[in-house]
Amino acid sequence: MSYDYVIELRDLVRHYKMGDETVKALDGVDLEINRGEYVSIVGPSGSGKTTLFNLIGGLDKPTRGSVFIDGVDIAQLDAYELAWLRCRKIGYIFQSFNLIQVLTALENVALPTVFAGVPRDEGLKKAEHILESVGLSKRINHRPSELSAGQQQRVALARALANDPAIILADEPTGNLDLNTGMEIIDLLHGLNKTKGLTLVAATHDLKMIKASDRIVWMRDGRIEKIERG
Amino acid sequence: MKRNRIGQVHFSIGDATRLGYDQIKRRWGRAAINIASIALGLSFYASLMLSDTFYNTYEGLGGTQLSVESYQYWLVGVALVVSVVGITNAMLIAVYERYKEIGTMKCIGALDRHIIMLFMVESGFQGLAGGVLGFILGLAAAVVSTGFSTGFDIVLKVPALRMLTLFGGSVLLALALSMMATMYPAWRASKLKPVEALRYEL
Repeated sequence: MSYDYVIELRDLVRHYKMGDETVKALDGVDLEINRGEYVSIVGPSGSGKTTLFNLIGGLDKPTRGSVFIDGVDIAQLDAYELAWLRCRKIGYIFQSFNLIQVLTALENVALPTVFAGVPRDEGLKKAEHILESVGLSKRINHRPSELSAGQQQRVALARALANDPAIILADEPTGNLDLNTGMEIIDLLHGLNKTKGLTLVAATHDLKMIKASDRIVWMRDGRIEKIERG
Repeated sequence: MKRNRIGQVHFSIGDATRLGYDQIKRRWGRAAINIASIALGLSFYASLMLSDTFYNTYEGLGGTQLSVESYQYWLVGVALVVSVVGITNAMLIAVYERYKEIGTMKCIGALDRHIIMLFMVESGFQGLAGGVLGFILGLAAAVVSTGFSTGFDIVLKVPALRMLTLFGGSVLLALALSMMATMYPAWRASKLKPVEALRYEL
């Protein structure tokens, strides 16, 4: 069964209380994202990019409005179902990689498959295969501290792919990388988007990432300012 | 309904054990503090229980009546409480150190109870190690402190079953105390919201 939009946002509002003041991090966002689309979310810091990212990923709850993933309103899901959604449907990539320091690259990538209930051997084999596909076959037994920033981000990307998600959410994925390694990550992401039809949503400042995308959503003060075709 | 497309996440005790073991192996310093804390408290307990057993055995073999002073049991209680508080403290620090890691785990599918399981497994390992180490230390202390009045070979005259019960009891006590001390830190960790955990900078 397939829905027209893999992600659908309806009048999404997120307010924070800061002392007596209410911060309107998101103030009514409507957006549809098609299956296989590559969307960049751009805007100055404080414009609501990360809040939007967190809400789409089910990491935060909206004050009002709804997020639909594959036609399912995620506000209706209980903790178990939400965990499953995070595990199977969505792959997350962060600016600071967020790898588990005590595990090797291989174990880091295999970890999501544990939660997905994949038998250990199978999970490790799959992880090895994905690490190969991001060009890290020689480094699978290294720990994050023994890898360069670019390599760590590639491990994080491999981990995001471990359970064949429908959506990749990336929050400033090239923010901690230099020009060349950043470019490698963008190429990898772009390739996955084109060959595997993964839906890619990236919050970014990086002009090269923006250029590669199908649509660019400009955010300002918690609202969508304009949407451009890439 | 659309519901049926939503499944369940999995995480067994075996998975938690593997991950907990990795944590201890790689963050050996923190684990060592906890193990030492439980071992010291427990060695005091074990030495007292063993001394008492040695005196009883000696008496049973026709020796004069000797016994452990009752105030010493009070001291043991205090020592055990101190070690529990020490472990709680060390585990709380471990939770802060791993804020981001906990957030990441939740992003890839971990439930609250999986996080609790991870910390409990870790403290279980530490409790077992601390219990065994503490019993050995306590045994040495008991032999030294009673040996001059009962003879050092008294340790060989204690019935094997009695010895085994004492050992098992000590290790179980250590396990229980270590896990009890970790309950609150583990609960704190499990209640972390992924967004906050990921934003946290140490």
